[in-house]
Order: sequence, then C-alpha cells, then structure tokens
Amino acid sequence: MSTAAGAFAHLHVASAYSTHYGVTLPEALAGQAAEQGANFLAVTDRDGLYGAVKHVRACVDVGIRPGLGAELAVHDDQYRPLGRVVVLAHGQTAGRGYAALCRAVSAAHSTDRDALQHGAASHGAPQNSTAQHSTAHGAAAGPSISRARLADLAGLASLTVLLGPDSDVGLAIGRRDNTDAAARLAHWQRALPEGAVVLEIVCHLAESGTIGSVTPATRLLALAENAGLPAVLSNAVRYGTPDEAVTADLADAARFLLPLAELETPQTNGQAWLKPAGAMRQVARMVVDAGLHDNGALERLLGDTEQLADRCSLDPVSDIGLGHPRMPEARIIGVTGDPVIELWRRARSGIAELYSASGSRAVEAAHHQLAHEMKTVEHLGFASYFLTVSRVADIIRGMGIRIQARGSGVGSVLNYALHTSSVEPIANGLLWERFLSPERQTLPDIDIDVESARRHDIYREVFRAFGSDRVSLMSMTNAYRGRGAVRDAGLALGLPDAQINVIAKQMWRFNARDFRRALEEKPELEALATEVRESQQLDLLVDLTAKLDRLPRHISVHPCGVILSDASLLDRTPVQASGMGLPMSQYDKHDMDPMGLIKLDILGVRMQSAMAHAVEEHHRLTGERIDLDRVPLDDAKTFELIRSTRTLGIFQIESPGQMELVGKLQPEVFNDLTVEISLFRPGPMKNNMPLKYLQARHGEVAPDYIHPRFEPILRETKGVVIFHEQVMRLFDELTGCGLGKADVFRRHLGKPEQLPQIEEYLREKALARGFSEKVIDQIWTVLAGFGSFGFAKAHGAAFALPTYQSAWLKTHHPAAFLAGLLTHDPGMWPKDLIVAEARVLGVPVLPLDVQSSALDYRVEDLADGSQGIRLALPELVGSTEGERARIAQHQPFGSLQDFRDRVHPRRRTFEALARVGALDTFIGYDRTRRHELLAHIQSLRGTAVVIRADQLAFEVELPVPRYSGDRAGTITSLELRGRTQTDLELLDLNLAIGSHQMKRFHALFKELGVTPASELGNLPGGTEVLLAGVRRATNTPPMRGGRRVVFISLDDGTGPVANVVFFHDAQERVGGQVFQTNYMLVRGRTRRSGARGVSVTGENLWNLFDVARQVKERHAVERAAAEEAASAAAYAAELAAHPALRTPAQQSSGGGTLHQLTAAQSA
Amino acid sequence: MPHIIDAPVDVELSPDGDPRAFIWNRFEHTVIGQPQAVFKRTRWWENEGTPTRIDTELWRLDACRGSEEQHRYDLRRGTDGSWTLALDWG
Repeated sequence: MSTAAGAFAHLHVASAYSTHYGVTLPEALAGQAAEQGANFLAVTDRDGLYGAVKHVRACVDVGIRPGLGAELAVHDDQYRPLGRVVVLAHGQTAGRGYAALCRAVSAAHSTDRDALQHGAASHGAPQNSTAQHSTAHGAAAGPSISRARLADLAGLASLTVLLGPDSDVGLAIGRRDNTDAAARLAHWQRALPEGAVVLEIVCHLAESGTIGSVTPATRLLALAENAGLPAVLSNAVRYGTPDEAVTADLADAARFLLPLAELETPQTNGQAWLKPAGAMRQVARMVVDAGLHDNGALERLLGDTEQLADRCSLDPVSDIGLGHPRMPEARIIGVTGDPVIELWRRARSGIAELYSASGSRAVEAAHHQLAHEMKTVEHLGFASYFLTVSRVADIIRGMGIRIQARGSGVGSVLNYALHTSSVEPIANGLLWERFLSPERQTLPDIDIDVESARRHDIYREVFRAFGSDRVSLMSMTNAYRGRGAVRDAGLALGLPDAQINVIAKQMWRFNARDFRRALEEKPELEALATEVRESQQLDLLVDLTAKLDRLPRHISVHPCGVILSDASLLDRTPVQASGMGLPMSQYDKHDMDPMGLIKLDILGVRMQSAMAHAVEEHHRLTGERIDLDRVPLDDAKTFELIRSTRTLGIFQIESPGQMELVGKLQPEVFNDLTVEISLFRPGPMKNNMPLKYLQARHGEVAPDYIHPRFEPILRETKGVVIFHEQVMRLFDELTGCGLGKADVFRRHLGKPEQLPQIEEYLREKALARGFSEKVIDQIWTVLAGFGSFGFAKAHGAAFALPTYQSAWLKTHHPAAFLAGLLTHDPGMWPKDLIVAEARVLGVPVLPLDVQSSALDYRVEDLADGSQGIRLALPELVGSTEGERARIAQHQPFGSLQDFRDRVHPRRRTFEALARVGALDTFIGYDRTRRHELLAHIQSLRGTAVVIRADQLAFEVELPVPRYSGDRAGTITSLELRGRTQTDLELLDLNLAIGSHQMKRFHALFKELGVTPASELGNLPGGTEVLLAGVRRATNTPPMRGGRRVVFISLDDGTGPVANVVFFHDAQERVGGQVFQTNYMLVRGRTRRSGARGVSVTGENLWNLFDVARQVKERHAVERAAAEEAASAAAYAAELAAHPALRTPAQQSSGGGTLHQLTAAQSA
Repeated sequence: MPHIIDAPVDVELSPDGDPRAFIWNRFEHTVIGQPQAVFKRTRWWENEGTPTRIDTELWRLDACRGSEEQHRYDLRRGTDGSWTLALDWG
C-alpha cells in the first residue's frame, strides 16, 4: 500500500510521552494526521516506547497505519557517543521488527552507565544540542545502545536506522566537515546490515547559519546521493500544531532546569509541528533547491519517505499482538497437565475444605456456583490466569505475609476456593458476574493487598519464582498537576524561587487548567488574584501553567502493578530499571489490557503491616498467636467501640466524615460496615444516599422496596440502591437478561447517550415479565439516577474486613495496635494524634530511652500491670541509620562511657539524645541534672583532651559530675533554658510525648471560655462555642450540591479531635486562613450527628498566636489602667483635698479581645 | 543597508504556497526565482500576552516592478495570514 498523493508520512514524531520534550498526546497526533489526509503515522518517543500502545490504538481508531520507533542515543565499542538516531520497526514481519525494537530500547536502558560516563569524559561530547541534553542530565548517563547491539537487532531486516541531524553523521555535516561525515557514514554502513541505514533530512526553515536551516539539510541529502543511500524527509516533530511550540519551549526549560532566557540552545523556531503534505513538500522543495541535486531529487526524497513508511507500517495484531493475552506457561505455575483440569481439581478441594463446616447445603451451593464460574473461565480460556494468581498468593502466604484480596475478584467462589481471596462471596451476596462474564471482554483484574513493609520482598520472590523474562513491574505516567505545572512554568519565566513557592503552595484542590477560573472564584486566592491582575508576568504564568497541566511529566514504578506473562514478555514490552532495581515495563496500566499483558496488583497496605506488627508484639510479650483471619466477626465490644466513633486509627473509618457517618449509622453487624464504607463515596454522597439509608435504617421512614419482587434485593440496604450488585440483580429481575448482560447495562448507565436504548429494552421486557408501568417508572428513575455511581459490594466487603480486624485489635489489644500504627503510620492522622489517642486510652507513650527504645515501637509491660508504648529510635530527627542500629544492637548500656564507646554517636545525635532525655538513664532519671549532662557532653567534645601515648583513648572521666552545695543549679545550658520538655521533644522528635503541645495555652483557653474538645459531646446541638487547638487534618470531602466544604480537625489535647466544618459563606469570611493557620481559635455552633457524634460548624477563625498576643497586650493595658486607676484614686484623694485641680476622668479601654478581633477582621 | 518599509501588502501565492507576486503602492511586484521562507524565533516571554506562535514567518525574495531593476525584499506573514512588506534590501 502506498501513500496517497497529497499525503505525507511522518516517520519521526515525539509524543507527549517523550517527557519534557514532546507536548502532544498520541491521540491528538493521530487524529490530526488522519484529518490532514495522511494514512500513516509513526511515533518515535525519546529513549523508549512510552506512548507506543496509545499511538497504535489511536491509529486503529482513526483508521491510519501505525509505525513505531524510538529515538535513541548510540555509542561505539569504545563508549564514544555517536549522537542520536531514530530506530524504526519493520512491519509485516510477524512481530520480528517490533520485538527487535523492544529489545533495542531495553538494551539502551541496560547499558553500563559507568563505562558510558567514562567514554563521554575521555572523548568529549559533540558540540551541539545533544551534548547539552546529556550534560544537563548529568553527563552522558542517559540511556544509550551500542552500535554493535543495534546491528545485531537490525538483522533479518527487522529495523531501519535513521541517521539525521542529531546523529554523528549529521553533527559532522553541521560542523561543515563533509569528510568526517562521509567517514562516519561509511562506518555505519559497515557496522549495520545492508539496507538498514537511511539518512533523515530535517529542515525547520530556520535562519541560515542556525540549526534547522536548509544548508545542512541539503548537504546531508547530497551525502546520501554520493553514498548511494536512500534519504527520507521528516520534520522531527515535537508537537501537533504551531501554537503548541510555546509548550515545547516550557518543556525545554524544564528539561534543562533553566529559565528560557538562559537556554543555550532553545528550539531554533516553532516549526517542529506535524505539518500537512503541502507544507512538507514545500520544505522538500526548499531543501532540494538550496543545493546541487539532479532533477528527480525532490520526487525521490518524497518517494523514499513513502516507501519507508510502507515498510514500517505495523499490523496491530500480527506485528504487535494487540488484544492477544499471554499467560505464563503451565510448567511455570506448577501444572503438568491441562490447566482446566488442574483448576477444577484445586477448586473442588478448596470448597471441601472451606465450606464443609457450614453444612452440606452450603457445600452444594458452592459447587453449583463453581460450576457456573468455571463455564465462563473455560469459555474465555482464563484457567491459567486463575492458577497464576493463586500461585502468587501461595508464594506470599508461604513467606508468612498477611494477604487480602480486594476488588471485584472477591465476588468469586473460585478465588475463594483457591485461597486467593478470604471473603466468602455467597453469604455476603457478592456476584461473579461483576468480576467476569462472557459479556465482559477485558482481562480480569484481581488486586491483592499485602503488608506494605514486605512488598519489595514479595516482588523479588515473584521474579525469582517466575523468572525475570516473564515478569516485569508496571510503570505509571505521572502527569503535571497544579504545583508541578506552576513551578516549571515559573522556572521557564525565571521567576524567583521564593515567589514560585508561595504561589505553588496555593495550587491545590483545583486543576491547573482551571487556574484562571479558580482565581476568580476561590476566596482564599483573592490576594494572588490581585497580584496577577497587576503583573504581566504573573498573568502569563497563569496561562503557561494551564498549558502544562496534565502533560506526562515522568514515569515511575507503579505502586502495585506486576506484569506476569510467558517467555515472550521482553519481545512485547520494553523495560528499564526501576528505582528498586527490578525491571519495569515502559507501558502503564492503560496499555496492559490492549497488549494482552496480565497485570496483578500487589498493593502494599500499611494497615496490614500495622496489624502484623500488633500481632507480633502480642506474640513477643505473651507467646500467644492471634490469627486475625479467624477472629469471629460478631464481637460485641468491637462494635461498641466503632459505634462510639472513637475510630481514630481504624482502617477506612477514621476520617472526620467517616466518624460522623459511623456515629449516625451505628453499625451492629459486619454487613453494616460494608454498607457504611460503600456509602462514603463521591457518587452516593452526591446522590444523598446516606441520608435516605439512615432514615430508613432508624425507622424514620418505611423502607420503600417499590415492588415485592425487589425486596430480597434491596432488603439489606433498606430499599436504597447502594451496590453495583443490586443494580445488576434489579436488571436481571426486570428483564431476565442474565447477570453478565446486567453488568454491561450497569456500566452503560454512566453514559447518558445509552440511556434511551436501555430504557426501551427494560420497559418492554419488564412489562412482559409482569411489572406495571408505575413500578417500571419508579425503578427506572432510581436506576437512571444511579448512573455508574455506587460501589461494588465486593470492594466494600473486602475493605470491611481489615476495618473490622483493626477495630478488634484496638478494642482488645490497644497497646500493641497503637504500637503498630505508630511504627507503620497507616492512616491519615499525624503521629502526635495517635499519641494523644494513646493517652486517652490509658496507654502511656514512654519517652525515648537509649536503654529500651528499639527500631520500631515496642509495647512494654509496666510495673502497675498496664502496658505502655516505647518511642522508637527513628523518631530522633537527624540521627543516622547506623547510629540507631548500633544503639539497638548494644542495649543496654552500663554507663555513659560504655554508650559513647560502642555507639560512636555524632555530636549532633549525642546532644539531641541528651536534650530529649534519652540519656537520662545516666543521671538516675533526674531531669534537673540534664543541664549538667548536656554541658558535660559538650565539654567532652568541645575540649581537646590530651591523651598520653600509653593511655587508652577513652580513659576520660565520663560519669556526669554531680554538683552540689553552692554550685548546684549554676550549670545551665542555653539550649535547655526556658524550654519545656514538650519544646525539646517537638524540636528533636517532631512529636510531643510527655505532655500535649496545647497545654501551655490551657490557661488562655480558660480565660477565653474555650470549650475543651472532650466536653463537646455533652453540649446540645446549636450551642455557640469557642474551640481552639492545633490543626491535625484538613479535608474537603465530596459533598452534595458540589460546593466545597472544608473540614478541619482540631486537637487541643483534652481528648479526641474536634471536627470543625466551614461552609462556603464562612470560607469567604475567613479567606486563606482556613488552609493556612495551624494554631487556631474558632467560633462556631455545635451540630449533632447521631447519638454520639458531634461536630462544630465554624463561623470565624483566628490565629491562636495573634489571640494570645492580643490578650497579653490587653492584660498589659489593663495592668497599666489599674495602676493608673490606683494613682488616679490617690490623685482623686488629693483632689478631694484640692478641688481646684479636677479634670475629666480617663476612660479605660473596654470590650473583649474577640470584639476587637472581629472589628479588625471586618475592616 | 535595508530600508524599513512595514507596509501591508496583498500577496498572490503559487499553487505550492510560495509568494508569486505582491502589490505595493498599487504596483504589482513580480517574484523572480525561488523565494526562501525563514522562521525566526521570538523571545515571547519578554512580551505582553500569551503567544500563539513562537516565531515569525519571513519570506526573502527577489522581485521587480515592471521592467525596473529587481530588489530583494522581506515579506512577513502574520498569524492571521495578513502580509507585511518588512524590508527592502535594495
């Protein structure tokens, strides 16, 4: 197939996935190419195939032929750089070309970096833009492939290598060194297979004498003619349209980390766009006209370009394997025979094991369901997939690591029987069809949650078990968001860092492309909006920030995706090293399904680590093993704790909004937790589902099931449709379509254009199945309103399990549980709040002590029979891992000398330990002597001790000298003077252990009449209150009506956090303070939520330090007034004696501080 | 030395999109030989407003009025497609 006249085939195009280089997404490029009449488009991203799958799919969508390639740096056998070339895969080769391309990209990324750097250093980098790229990225340490390896891969006519202006040949031409260029080209011809080398002519019509002008282009063309090699025309495209050149400028600034004004080689002009055929022909004409070429040169250049495009047209199916899933080979997953038979065998034995305790009817139901599921599995040919996932689950369990399946896969009896999932699906009302059905064409997705601290161990083990040619980590593309965009746009404009920082800090909770609108609408951005109106540069910044928003920024390893495949994996995906060393695919999650790659989400969940830590601590102290997965799910005390809303630290239900909902819902059984978690989602919240459910649950309204035939489906949620599974069942009941089809309908509910079709089908079938028009009207309103919202009950149930387990631990083993939370930090709250919670629960957090603090938080049995939690060593700010390890290794210490001898602490660590009291053991835990201790340690280091040759180095008097008599109290350390233990802890640990940091304000609170958080629950709704404390969390949860609501959780040290909610009007009053003030005083009104819950609607907010200062000033004024009054009284007495001296009396300032504050604020 | 003109002109294009002639001061100037397009970049960040282009399109060409001696000119095309006679190189 040849390109039609009037079309041009672009062979060298960087998509936006060439981060900090290309700026147009593949979909836009393909769309534009098709519109311009092209029938071919290649994407050749820099250093990889990052945008390849998206490009191929986009080409299929718009009906043009895709080509794939990569722009790679090449080096010779002595690691001397040979510039950058474009490597293109040949099509119609049954995948050989594409496989060679994948391998070439992977090879470029696996090159020995040290050798490369050596080469670059000893031979110098070429003098051009490529050299600047390399130096800006820290030597030529970027990916680079050796020419010899590239030659190997190009064999069997698999690849074409384009030598353009950035290749060593093109660079020589740029230096006007034609002889060198010819020699270098000859070298390429000798090194590569015949026909693999093609010259690439690029001309951006730049001014003569600059890069991209016609002169070097026409010379390179002449070189091709002399060498008898084909030359093709490309535009080295970086963007689709000319107006995107601005964005490419920003990308350059970000790549070189320099302002635009300081770039050595900015793009020469804005012509690297996807030009249509006419414009490319014009370029060709100018290139040919500028030199001495024979008559047919123009047509030959364009003809060769077309011909190469034909050769590089890839067939999405036969070349790339699009849509063809590949599972690991049977022997790898331990199967010798037919995978289907093996799957049956394992599933049956799993059912026998797991269901027999529940009676023969349960066993029978499970077998029945298994047969149903297996029919689909066999039909879709996914047996190996299930065996693979269950093999991975076995590997993880075999390592002794907690594992919990999540996602729609939890709805499968097969997964349960294979021990992949631990939630029983039938009794929980979960549906297989939500997971997999013949109607669902995408690959199934099973997510596995594991202990976060062990995730990397698991990855390594999976690589070992399956072999590294079958496994790869998945990558994810990080796109520009507000802050990154404003920072890079600011950098490009050369704005001062400090100014960018101030602006960047305000870039949250809105999209950067809506920056301008946000400036108009958000009250907290008012000050910035004024600045923008007054500054031309800031005005430009707003537009540039919007241009960068959403562009791919860099790729990194996905937090949980592991790709499992057969031995052909590396022929189908390029890989590069991830941060943790294991290979990572350049493809992201959107590319998995089209590429037939099986992805398993192995997600590290900190709560699982926290729970494992709690179980381990309990075992260490008591020798008793808790099996969390066998804890009964109906423990009354656990539900009592949950209902009290003291849920801080409990999985999923610890946020202020969740606390409120839990308080209203008052869960009594496990299923209530599933419902609660499913209700607290954006969709249900927006649709007011929580309120409807709560009213029915608490008997305020009768549940409305609409029709008796719906009651079995909706009974568990009192007539409110919450779960995907319910929607599916309703569809099935109404139309008899089967659950698989019902899931398709459910997903289409989210697409408004599909609704009329679904409605028509549903009405016709439902009428025939005996439902009245009225019932159909009612239920259709519900279904259509549901949209694609709601939650799969399978997700909810999978979340509810760790929720219950963590609540159980908090109820029965609070010390061990809190130690787990403090060690692994799983939740949304900062550590000092967990410490506060521990205090409230009567579990003291014990100070840092070099004798007993470990590398993690440990539970200690206390003398009075209770338990405490010992602060962990890593909390000491600035200590090194080595120091901490030595402390943990050598505990306990006999003396300060012993400690110093064996730990060798750095001065900074030594003093910090002394300051926070971790060395109090050496002064008999007498805090008053800490001055002496610190002074002593400082003197040890500060004075040069003369050591005789025959004396041991540490024979210095180390026990802390005790001063008595007159000298007692004379030693004071400046670092300790005037500082409380809390100050010191906040300084060196970032965490107040001894007492709460709000304690010093408590006198002020009393004076102002601030309500302690612990008292809040006793107040009726609507009471006006003052609250104060330190901000612990800020939330802007999804809300009905779309107006933003800000939740602030305040901690005043008296008990649980007080949640203050600021609605829109209050936010306008308060302005930016709602996000910026950390220590605050709030005026508001109480709001009751359910029997136990209470929150406060905030009306106004002040900075606590301002208040404290004003109160202090008022005190001073009052004192002065009092003194004045006293002297006035004396004066009056005097006056009484001498009436002639009488003057008008002075007025003392009146009114409360708050009134002044209010006045100041409204002014 | 070039002469700054900066006057709007009407330009007639060839089927390939190259200027073939332009009308300046009511006189038609016919292009001789192959005109050369050059795109010069701007330091747009120093100017007011957000640009839609980062370069200026200039066409350097030789043209003559009737049978008069030919001059070398720079024509500038704006982003809206309008043409300006920028320079007369003599």
